[in-house]
Amino acid sequence: MKRILVLGALMLGSALSPAFAGSGPIKIVLAEEADLLEPCMATRSNIGRVIMQNVSETLTELDVRGDKGVMPRLAEKWEQNADGSWRFHLRQGVKFSDGTTFDAKDVKHSFDRIMSDKNACESRRYFGGMTVTPTVVDDFTIDFKADPVQPILPLLLSLVTIVPEETPLEFVREPIGTGPYKLTNWTPGQQIVLTGREDYWGAKPEVTEATYLFRADPSVRAAMVQAGEADLSPSISQLDATNPATDFSYLDSETVYLRIDHNIEPLNDVRVRRALNLAIDRQAFLGTLVPDSALLATAIVPPPTLGWNPDVKVFPYDPDGARTLLEEAKADGVKVDTPITIIARSANFPNVTEIMEAIQAQLQEVGFKVELKFVEVAEHEQYYSKPFKEGRGPQIVAAMHDNSKGDPSFSMFFKYATEGTQSGFSDPKVDDLIKRASAAVGDERAKLWSEVIAYVHDEVVADVLLFHMVGFSRVSERLDFKPTMATNGTLQLSEIKIK
Amino acid sequence: MIPPPDSPEGAMLRFIRKRAVASLISLVGLIVMVFFLSRLTGDPAALFLPVEASAEMKAQFRELHGLNDPLLVQFARYVGDVVTGDFGESLRKARPALDVVLEAFTWTLWLALVTMTLVTGAAIVVGSLAAFRAGGFFDRLSSVISLLGASVPDFWVAIVAIVVFSVNLAWLPTSGTGSLLHWILPISVLFIRPFGIIVQVVRGSMIGALSSAYVKTARAKGVKSGPIIFVHALRNAMLPVITVIGDQAASLLNGAVIIETIFGFPGVGKLMIDSILQRDFNVVLAAILVTALAIFLMNLLIDLAYALLDPRIRH
Repeated sequence: MKRILVLGALMLGSALSPAFAGSGPIKIVLAEEADLLEPCMATRSNIGRVIMQNVSETLTELDVRGDKGVMPRLAEKWEQNADGSWRFHLRQGVKFSDGTTFDAKDVKHSFDRIMSDKNACESRRYFGGMTVTPTVVDDFTIDFKADPVQPILPLLLSLVTIVPEETPLEFVREPIGTGPYKLTNWTPGQQIVLTGREDYWGAKPEVTEATYLFRADPSVRAAMVQAGEADLSPSISQLDATNPATDFSYLDSETVYLRIDHNIEPLNDVRVRRALNLAIDRQAFLGTLVPDSALLATAIVPPPTLGWNPDVKVFPYDPDGARTLLEEAKADGVKVDTPITIIARSANFPNVTEIMEAIQAQLQEVGFKVELKFVEVAEHEQYYSKPFKEGRGPQIVAAMHDNSKGDPSFSMFFKYATEGTQSGFSDPKVDDLIKRASAAVGDERAKLWSEVIAYVHDEVVADVLLFHMVGFSRVSERLDFKPTMATNGTLQLSEIKIK
Repeated sequence: MIPPPDSPEGAMLRFIRKRAVASLISLVGLIVMVFFLSRLTGDPAALFLPVEASAEMKAQFRELHGLNDPLLVQFARYVGDVVTGDFGESLRKARPALDVVLEAFTWTLWLALVTMTLVTGAAIVVGSLAAFRAGGFFDRLSSVISLLGASVPDFWVAIVAIVVFSVNLAWLPTSGTGSLLHWILPISVLFIRPFGIIVQVVRGSMIGALSSAYVKTARAKGVKSGPIIFVHALRNAMLPVITVIGDQAASLLNGAVIIETIFGFPGVGKLMIDSILQRDFNVVLAAILVTALAIFLMNLLIDLAYALLDPRIRH
C-alpha cells in the first residue's frame, strides 16, 4: 500500500512539475545585513549583494563569467568622441519601478547625486583625481567628458547605479531602479524581500522572488540550507563544506598580503624585504590553515584581472637564503635586530590568528624579531591608511584586499603609488607606470599593468603577497548556480536558475 | 492623596525618589563618559567610507555629520537634541538612532522577560525541592544539572541544539524570527545558565530557612511539607534569590550577544557591538541610555520586591 502511495505521489509530482519547473521564489542567507539599501552605496558589498543589478542597474556591466569585458546594460552602445569624451546611447523603453521612464536626465542626475556633498555616496571614490561632466545630448544620448581623459570610463560607469531624476540628494531607504526586481519588504534585522517586476525591460529571470535573511554565524547559514530554510548561502565555513552535492569553493577576489612600511629601518632595505618573502613557506599553509584551493599570490589582484602577469613567480621557500640576506644587510649596518610589529585585524578572515602566528614563527626562525598585534577594524584602519603615525617602529600590516572589478587600476594607485592611501613606499618608476597604465587602452594597458605587477614584486619587493582566497558556498540542489569572483559584491538573481 | 511623610507609604515614596535621583546622576555620568570616550576611539569616516576613500571624501563626510566641530560643541548640541527627544541619526542606517534601538530593544525585552519568568519559576521549584531533602537523590541530580547549566558554554549548546533539533530532527527552525516556534531554541539556550545559577542560590537559601526555628515549630504543629516549603520557608529564603535574579535579568537586558548572533535574533546586544565597531555613536549612546534606563527600572522593582517580602526594609 505504502509503495503505491509513494508511486502515486511521484507520478503526481512529475505531472505537476513541468508547470512549476524553472521558476519560483528563493531564500538567500547572508552573513552581514544590508543596513542601508541606497543605490549609490551599492559598491559596498553588503549592500551591492542585494540591490546591484537586481534593483539598481548600471549603464555598463563587467562580464565576470566569460571574457567579454565591459558589456551593455542600460547603455546599448558607446563610443569615444574625437575630444576624448565618451558618448553613451541609452536603451529605450525602460521603466523604473515607480513607473517613470528612464532617459538621459536620470543618468545625469544619478551621476551628479554621487558627486554631491549632501551625501556620502561611496561610488564617488572611483572618480577621484578627475573631473567628469555629463552632458545630456538628447533623451537617449549622453556624453561624459572627463579631465584627464579616462580610457576606462565605460568600466567606471559599471559602478554607477541609475536612479530616477526625482531622487533626493540625501540617502534614501527605498531604492527605485530599473532592475528586474523591486523592494517589497524590508524588516530591519530580519529580512529583505525583492519581488520580480512584470514590466522589466529584459528577459524574465527564473527567480520570481528573493528573500534575504542574515545570520552572522557560518554554521547556522550552512544548517539553514541543509534544513531547507534557505536555498543559497554564498559564504559558509570550510569546516562545514562537506557535502559535494551542495558545497563548493570559488575564487572570491580577496587577496591576503603583508603591507610593508618601507619608511622605517630595517624595512627600508630591499634585502630585508626579500628575506621576509623567502622566509615564509606559503605552500605549507594550503590545505592546513588556508583552503586547499586558494592560490599563492604574485599580485595584489587575482588572476582573471587585466594585466595579471603569469611570468611573475611566487618567492620560493628558502630560509637559508633569507638568513644570508639578513646577514648581508647586518654587515652593512642595517639594524635587522629591531623588533618588527605585524598588525593584523581580529576575525579578518578564517584562521587569521593561527596564520599570523605561523608566519611570526617562520620569520623568527630565520632571525627576525617579530611581535604580533591584533586590533579591531577601526584601529587596523589607522595603521593601514595614511597618515601614518610619527615616531612609529618598523611595521607590517596584514590586510585583505578585494578587487573583483577586472582592472588593476582599482588597486594599484591606492596600494603602490606615492600618493596612495595604503602605499608603504614611494618609487618614481612605479608612479610613472601606474599613470601610464591608467591612461592606456587595450593591449598596451594590459602590458603596462603586467609591467607594474612584475616590477613591484621582483624589483621593489613592495610587500609580502600571500594568498588569493577562496570562499565556500552552499547551494540547494534545487538551484543551478555557481558563485563567481563577483559574488562577494554582486549576486545577480537573474543568474540563478531553478531546476 | 499624598500619604503623610511618616507613614510607610511616604517612606516608600521617599525611597523611590532617592533611588531615582541617584540613578539619574549615574545615567548622566555614563552618557558624558561614553560620548567622549567613544569619540577618542576612532573616526567613523574611516569606517563608513572604504579604505580607498580620498581625504576630501572623509573630510566631507565629517562635515556632513558635524564631526568636524570641537568636541564640546558636539556635546552641547547632542545634549540639546536629547533634551528635545532627538537622539540623532544612525550613520550606518540613515534612520533615527532611537527607532533603531527601540526596535531591537523590544525583542531583547521580550526575550529577557519570557526567559526570566520561566527560569524563576523552574529554579524556585527545583531548588526548593532539592533543599527539602538535602543530600537526597533529587538534590544530587539537580546539583549536577544546575552545575552543568551554569558552566556549559552557550554558543556550543546553541550550535548543538540547532544541529539536533533543526537539522537532524527537523522539529524547530534553525534561527530567525517569525513564529512562536522560532522562540523555543533561543529561550531554551538562554534558560540554561541563569537556571543553573539560581537553582543553587534557592537551594542554599532554602536549606538555611528550613532549619530555622519557625519551620521546626510549624512542623511540630503538623503543617504539611507543601505549605512549609512554599509558604513559610520560601518567602524568607527569597531575598538573596531576588538579588541574583536581578543580576541575571540585567545581563539579559544588555542583550544576549551570542544568542542573538547565532540565532539571528535582532536584539540590542548585537546592535550595540556592531555600532561600537562601526563607531555609530548615536546608536551606541541611545542603546546605552535605553538599556541603562531599563536596568534602573528593574532595580527599582527589585527594591520594591524586597520591601514587600521583608517588612523590616519597609520600616
